[in-house]
Amino acid sequence: MSDILLQVDGLEAGYDDVQVLWGISLKVERGAMTTLLGANGAGKTTTLRGVIGSLRPRAGRVMFAGEDVTQLSAHAKAARGLVLVPEGRQLFSDMTVEENLEMGAYSPRARQHFKSQLEKVFSLFPRLEERRRQKAGTFSGGEQQMLAIARGLMSVPEILIIDELSLGLAPVVVQQLVETLKALKAAGVTILLVEQNLHLALALCDYAYVIAEGRPFLEGPCREVAAKPEIRQAYLGL
Amino acid sequence: MFGILASVIDGILVGAVYGLAAMGLTLIWGVMNVINLAHGAIIVIGMFLLYIIVYSLGLHPYVAIPAMIVFGFLFGIVLYWIAVHRVIGQAELMSLLSTFAVNMVLIGLGTAVWSTSPYNVPVSMPSISLHGYTFTGTHITAAIMAVVIAGLLYVLLYHTRIGKAVRAVANNREAAELTGIPTTQVLAMAFGLGVALAGVSGTLIATLFPFTVLSGDAYQLKSFVVTVLGGLGNPAGALLGGVALGLIEGLATPFMPVSWIPVVEFGLFVFCLIAFPRGIFSFTKA
Ligand SMILES: Nc1ncnc2c1ncn2[C@@H]1O[C@H](COP(=O)(O)OP(=O)(O)OP(=O)(O)O)[C@@H](O)[C@H]1O
Ligand SMILES: [Mg+2]
Repeated sequence: MSDILLQVDGLEAGYDDVQVLWGISLKVERGAMTTLLGANGAGKTTTLRGVIGSLRPRAGRVMFAGEDVTQLSAHAKAARGLVLVPEGRQLFSDMTVEENLEMGAYSPRARQHFKSQLEKVFSLFPRLEERRRQKAGTFSGGEQQMLAIARGLMSVPEILIIDELSLGLAPVVVQQLVETLKALKAAGVTILLVEQNLHLALALCDYAYVIAEGRPFLEGPCREVAAKPEIRQAYLGL
Repeated sequence: MFGILASVIDGILVGAVYGLAAMGLTLIWGVMNVINLAHGAIIVIGMFLLYIIVYSLGLHPYVAIPAMIVFGFLFGIVLYWIAVHRVIGQAELMSLLSTFAVNMVLIGLGTAVWSTSPYNVPVSMPSISLHGYTFTGTHITAAIMAVVIAGLLYVLLYHTRIGKAVRAVANNREAAELTGIPTTQVLAMAFGLGVALAGVSGTLIATLFPFTVLSGDAYQLKSFVVTVLGGLGNPAGALLGGVALGLIEGLATPFMPVSWIPVVEFGLFVFCLIAFPRGIFSFTKA
């Protein structure tokens, strides 16, 4: 009895005349942590951009909470709780921490929960509360990643999609973010994670999809996937 | 001696209005990377709106100020959908051509209706006299209004939700879309704001000086000078840049024929572009 929150069928997408994705399919169960793995350039970010709508899919279908949302714009999806924390954080660097969080809660649905969500976010990341009036652009890498996740949480996600959680961060900071993810999962937030650090991802997740060169490569429960030798192949691009 | 000071003060008053015009230009650039070449034509619309309000409708001249803000905003949104939306994110030449085309259409229509002969709308305001020099009431009023409108823009951008969304879109449009901000609507609105600012500066200028359908070019060029002084994309810098330009005009006027003023202004323009490519008063966008 699984409850599928997000389902992607045969997604094809690309940039100008370069097609990058050739039929990616995946399912994300409600309340679970799913991960999308693959070598550099495999098409993970492109998949997420296609799902979220910042890139228009050429073919395929995105179902969210039982509804076809393929053609919706990214802001409409965010308003429904399909929230992406993008690669490279993409903060509003000229704006303060507080303003970044306020923008996270821009949609009418998120606005209703602004106060309670802000409290939650500040209890997860007390550092952000201390620095609420600081400009996001002046933050360290770890602080920026915290803020990016916090901004995503302010959108009151049904599903939180995170592209590259640990990239460029010190191990202590990564450990802290991992704890945060565990806490979110325990609180019932559905998570789709793209992560460079294979061991970290496979230790955290319930189910994994591996893609290679824009095509599905293998999938399975994380414990099984971790034991498969082919996974190295997907990563080394052999 | 006081004569020069009086000229400088008057220059600063007028400069505040130039600053307001430049704010419209710089806001649009800052949010959507479009140089609006219809800026001058929109300033002219503001001028003729004053004429219509006073002579066709028989209303008080300053009624034209709020009227132009509202009309400019709506007109700007319409212009956005007609001429700007499709060129967002494309090469800058595309938006230059498209807004230039709008400029030509507006000037053409204006010429058909009003010809290119000069118009003057006398506005009577009490003046202030000091040491035998008169500071015209309209100049003082225009400067105060420019500063008040600039202040309102600041409050909008920094203290309202929608204004913060405008800044978010200016800062990172893709991220803004991801946080649920309908960025296309925000762009249209920001264009409307920029047009309203340009238009209302035109209305204020028309309370000071005579104008023709072709006056827009000169003021558009002044806006460019102000913008390089203040830093492109920086509204607060634009007001300072405007005041600085007014000050320079005020300083230069007693010493040289009027025809030399553009030479000074554009000499300064080129100098600033070379020496301070980010603007002298630019504090943001490091
Ligand atoms: N904006 C773009 N324009 C053109 N090609 C792009 C663009 N972004 C990505 N690509 C190409 O698409 C392919 C997939 O890129 P994508 O960013 O999805 O990979 P990824 O799996 O996220 O890699 P990484 O682990 O390095 O983040 C790459 O070959 C890349 O060169
Ligand atoms: Mg990537």
